[in-house]
Parts: sequence; structure tokens; C-alpha cells
Amino acid sequence: METQDEIIKVQKIVKRYGDFTAVDGSEFSVHNGEVFGLLGPNGAGKTTTLEMLVGLRKPDEGTAIVGGFDITKELDKVKEVIGVQLQSTTLFELLTVDEILHLYGSFYREHISIPELIDDMLLTEKKNSRIKGLSGGQKQRLAIALALVHDPQIIFLDEPTTGLDPQARRTLWDIILRLKERGKTVVLTTHYMDEAHVLCDRIAIMDQGKLIALDTPSELVRNLQSDSAVEFKFNDEVDIALSEIDGVKQVGSQKDIHVLYTDDLQKTLTSLIAIASEKELKLVDLQTRTATLEDVFIHMTGRRLREG
Amino acid sequence: MRSYYLLTLAQLRIFLRNRQVLFWTLAFPIVLMVMLGSFLGNGNGVSITAAVVDQDKSEQSKNLVKEIEKNEAVSLEKSSNEKDVLSQLKQGDLTLVVTIPKGYGENLSAGNKADPFKLPVYYNETNMAMSQVGLQLVNNAVDTISKKSVNYEPVVVTESKGVEALNLRYIDFLVPGIVAMMIMSNNMNGVAGQISSWRERGILRRMQGTTLKASTFIAAQITARFMLNGLQAMIVLAVAWAAFGIEVRGSWLTVIAFVTLGTLAFMAIGFIIAGIAKTPESAGPIAGFLSFPMLFLGGVFFPIRDMPEFLQPFVQILPIAHLSHALRETMNVGASFLDLGMEALILGGWLIGAFIVASFTFKWE
Repeated sequence: METQDEIIKVQKIVKRYGDFTAVDGSEFSVHNGEVFGLLGPNGAGKTTTLEMLVGLRKPDEGTAIVGGFDITKELDKVKEVIGVQLQSTTLFELLTVDEILHLYGSFYREHISIPELIDDMLLTEKKNSRIKGLSGGQKQRLAIALALVHDPQIIFLDEPTTGLDPQARRTLWDIILRLKERGKTVVLTTHYMDEAHVLCDRIAIMDQGKLIALDTPSELVRNLQSDSAVEFKFNDEVDIALSEIDGVKQVGSQKDIHVLYTDDLQKTLTSLIAIASEKELKLVDLQTRTATLEDVFIHMTGRRLREG
Repeated sequence: MRSYYLLTLAQLRIFLRNRQVLFWTLAFPIVLMVMLGSFLGNGNGVSITAAVVDQDKSEQSKNLVKEIEKNEAVSLEKSSNEKDVLSQLKQGDLTLVVTIPKGYGENLSAGNKADPFKLPVYYNETNMAMSQVGLQLVNNAVDTISKKSVNYEPVVVTESKGVEALNLRYIDFLVPGIVAMMIMSNNMNGVAGQISSWRERGILRRMQGTTLKASTFIAAQITARFMLNGLQAMIVLAVAWAAFGIEVRGSWLTVIAFVTLGTLAFMAIGFIIAGIAKTPESAGPIAGFLSFPMLFLGGVFFPIRDMPEFLQPFVQILPIAHLSHALRETMNVGASFLDLGMEALILGGWLIGAFIVASFTFKWE
């Protein structure tokens, strides 16, 4: 991997808020032209990491090289090569799509053709509409258009699809994949598993300020060493050794939900049902599925990505 | 340069598209000015409403009515029902009632010098000051008629001369104050509210992520607000001119110079408030806390010399006091910029001081 172009190199970056350490010495590299995902639950430090990389927050320790420039020393140069879409940004609501793109374009030395950008982001019909009247998906596409207005090499997207309906999410996925085709490097944060799986070439999993895993999505799942997951609840609280059920490689239990990881789904299921009948326990919400990134996360942290 | 131009344009578009804010920021000073101007505008002159009941209806009685009417300070109402007007007098709607009884004309023609005709004049004792002035006016009229009838020739007359070169009305005092008030509230309250809300909503943070310089952003803010203020001040002055005939006696350049100074000084204070206020909701009360004392103590509505002695030193440092005073001197008296050097200096001091404080308290997020 070292032979690949490292367009971003994060070096032991730390951010503290009082006693709380939001980002605790993360270290990773992003390769030129890939879609890189920062995955983790709320409060894991994804957004803080991203905001340090784009210069909105100053790291307390460590630094990062973004597009060849040090974020602590050459921030002005960094800002020229990056485009940013921030979480839940509001814009000047009384301006039109066309006006705000020209405005943001003027903040840079050069900008690309605004009409083409509007077409690319599927906003042609809304060109002269005020931002106030746009739908959530349209606003998010506009936010991405603003990030692209000066044709940056690296694009940072902070939870680009949070709060969007499924169709709007898919439209955005297409846009992000097209950016990749054009050779852009995309760094995005998300807490959606499916999104990370579809979009990202590599994923860094963060939890409580620490980077706990970094690999391709399929490699991360493969490292679970189990193909399938069985998930269920008992209607009563019981005390049985789930790991002794046939074929179970790992147990991931949290609260009253139990997850068994196995390579032999049939064997495990048969055994589970046998034990349940024997002890007169009632199985609730039983389901089986292929192991996903969600399971990787549960396995690594003992918690779910999106809790309560 | 292009970003400065586009940001200024964007800010002006936001102003113009926010019709409600635009309307109310303009409607408030105009309504206030028209209201106060109409009620108190002619405050310098005394006006007496009197009624005359002519029961005689002779040549002589008509002459007397004409003589009383000659005085501009009296607005005379003619009535035939004495009871009616007397009850109006009791209610305070009238200051005086003059009754010319039957026989006035005949008595005057007869020329009975030993027994002068008694003309009843009713007045309301609860309003002594006005009644005295009114009685004096009626006395003068009656006196004139008496003197005419005996061909009296005066040997000494008084000649009254006003010493004030300009005849200033309250409205002349008020309009510059209203312009100063508008500059204060639009800039101090406006900047505080807008910047803190833009910060809360992440608008400033998003711009911080670009190569835009803070100085460009602030310069565009100043330009746009100055243009808007200039326009609003012109509209207020145009209304003042149309409704009350107010003119700018001094140089327009001096007016513009002080509008600029005031805009900058109050914007700087607005930036401080935006820096201190943690939320947009708290920016309003903080701005109100500063603007209310300035409105009432800063010489907007009442002259500063009318303030209690112990407040004077405090009042003298308020920026609005100097802004309204400078505008007043320029508009009313025609003072030049050089005459107002002290005011310019103090406003400039506020501007520089406030910008220094603002640069320490200002936060992008």
C-alpha cells in the first residue's frame, strides 16, 4: 500500500475539550483517488477529525499533511486544494442557487463553470430558486456543489446523507461515485453501514476518539471469520452459555439482544432451537443474516453503531 | 476584489428580499417622526382656541370679531349658542369664550365715555397660563377698537425683536435625532442579531472553510450596511422634507461623513455584542440594554441640557449624543465638518476602541 500516492497523511492527531479527549492520536493515510470512509457512532470523533483536517479546528497535538501542505502551517494552501461540505450547514436562505454558487466561486482564485456544476448536481430546475425552498436532498446537493466550485482535488463530506430519504440518498451516492470516477479523492463520515459498504474503498472505524480498524469493507467483514449472524431475544432473562451452542465462533450480546456468529448457520440454528425447547425458553425476533460491517463494529466494541 | 463585490451584493439582496425587516426598520422611524412631529412639531408657538358668540350682529360687533381674528395665535370659532360653548370651555376644549351681548353696537355708537361697555369673556380657571395669554389677546383687540373710536395717538410704542437667528421648531430638532436613532438601531442591533445568528447556523463556519479572508467579509458587511443606511436616511429626510419642510442647511458631505462615522462606530459595537452573545436569542436583549438608555439619554428626543445634572457626564460620553448633535448642527445650523471636530473625534474614538475590543471578542463559531 505504501507505494500508492498518499494524498492525506494524518500524524498522531489529538483534540481535547477540557478533560474529554475527542480524538486520541489517530494516525492514517488516504490514497489519491479513493473514497475513504470514517465510520463510527455519534461522538466517536469522526466530525472532529474531519474538521481538523479542513482547518476548522486546531489539533492540540500532531498534524496532518493534506494535498502536500501541513494543516498547522499552510492552512491557506490546504484550503485551495480541498472542498468541504459540513454537517447540517445552513446557507444564506434568501439567495438563489445560482447566486450562492457564484458567491462561493468568488472566494477562490478560480472556479469552474457554474452552469455545468448546476447540471452535474441535478439542480438545473432549481437554478433560480431561493435556497429556503429547496428540499433536504437538493440542499445537500447544493452543499456538495459548493464544495466542488473551485475544482478541488480532495473533497470532505461530513455525513452527506444523514436525514435524507432513501431515494435522495441513492442520488447522492451516484454523485459521490461519479466524483471518484473523475479521479477526486473523497473523505466522508457516516454512521450508515450500507453507505460505507457501497461507497468506500477503505474504511476507518472510530470509537471513543480512537481508530480501531482500517481496511477495505470486505476485508473487515472477512476478519470476523464468520459468514453469518443469528440474532434473537429470549422473552425471559436467562443464564445460559451461548458460546457452547454448536458452530458458534463468537458471541456478541448487548442488553437483551444476543448475536451469534457462525460459519454453519444450519447447525447453529438447530442447536439453538434444541436448547431453547429443552429449557422451555421462548425465542423472540429471531433472524439470520450475512455478517456485515455492523457486526464488525459490534464485535470490536461490544456496542452498536447507532444506539438509542 | 470580486468576492468583496459579490458579498456586498449578496448582503444587499438579503436586505431587499427580507421585506419585513426592510419595511419595519424604515416604518418605525418614519411613523415615530410623523407622529411626534405632528403633535409637537409647532411647539414654539402658542395657539388659543376661542369661541365668540355674537348676539348683537351689528357692524361694530363684526369689526370686533375681525380684530380678534387678526391674531394668528387665535383660532376663532363662531357660535350662536352660548350654553354649548360654555360647556365646551368647562371640558377644556376651548380656552376662551367671548360673548358680544345685544346693544354692543348701539352703545358704541352712542359713545358713552363715562360708562364703558362691559364685554364678558369667560375662561377656564384650571388652565390659567393659557387663559392669561388669551385674555391678553382679547384685551389687545378691544383696546385697539377703543383707541380707534377715540382717535387715540400713541406716543411710545414697543418694538420686539427676536434674538434667535433661526426659528427652530421641535421637528427640526427631532429629524436629525431620528436619523441618528436609525443608524444606531440598524447597525448595532442589526449586526449583533445577524452575525450571531449566522454564527449559530454555521454560515460563518462554512465560509471559514474557504480561502475567503475575514477582512473581505467585514469590508463587504460595512459597505452593504452603509449603502442601506444611506438609502434609509435619504428616505427619512425626504419624508421630513415633504411633510414638514425640513431642509439640510449645512453641507451634504458633512451629513454623509457623520452617517458614515456613525455607521462604523455602531457596527463595531454590534460586532462586540455578537462576540459576547452566546446565542442569537441573547443578542437582542444585550443590544436593547445598550440602545434604550442611548435613545432616551442621548439627545434623540429631548435636548441633553434638559437632563438631570448628575447624568450629564454619563450622557456626554454616549456615541449617539455626538452623532445626533453633529447631525443637528449640520442640518439645522449649517455647521461645517471643521466646526464639529470634537464630535468627529469622539465618534472616531468609539469606532477605534470598539473595533479593538471586537477583534478580541469576535468568534467565527
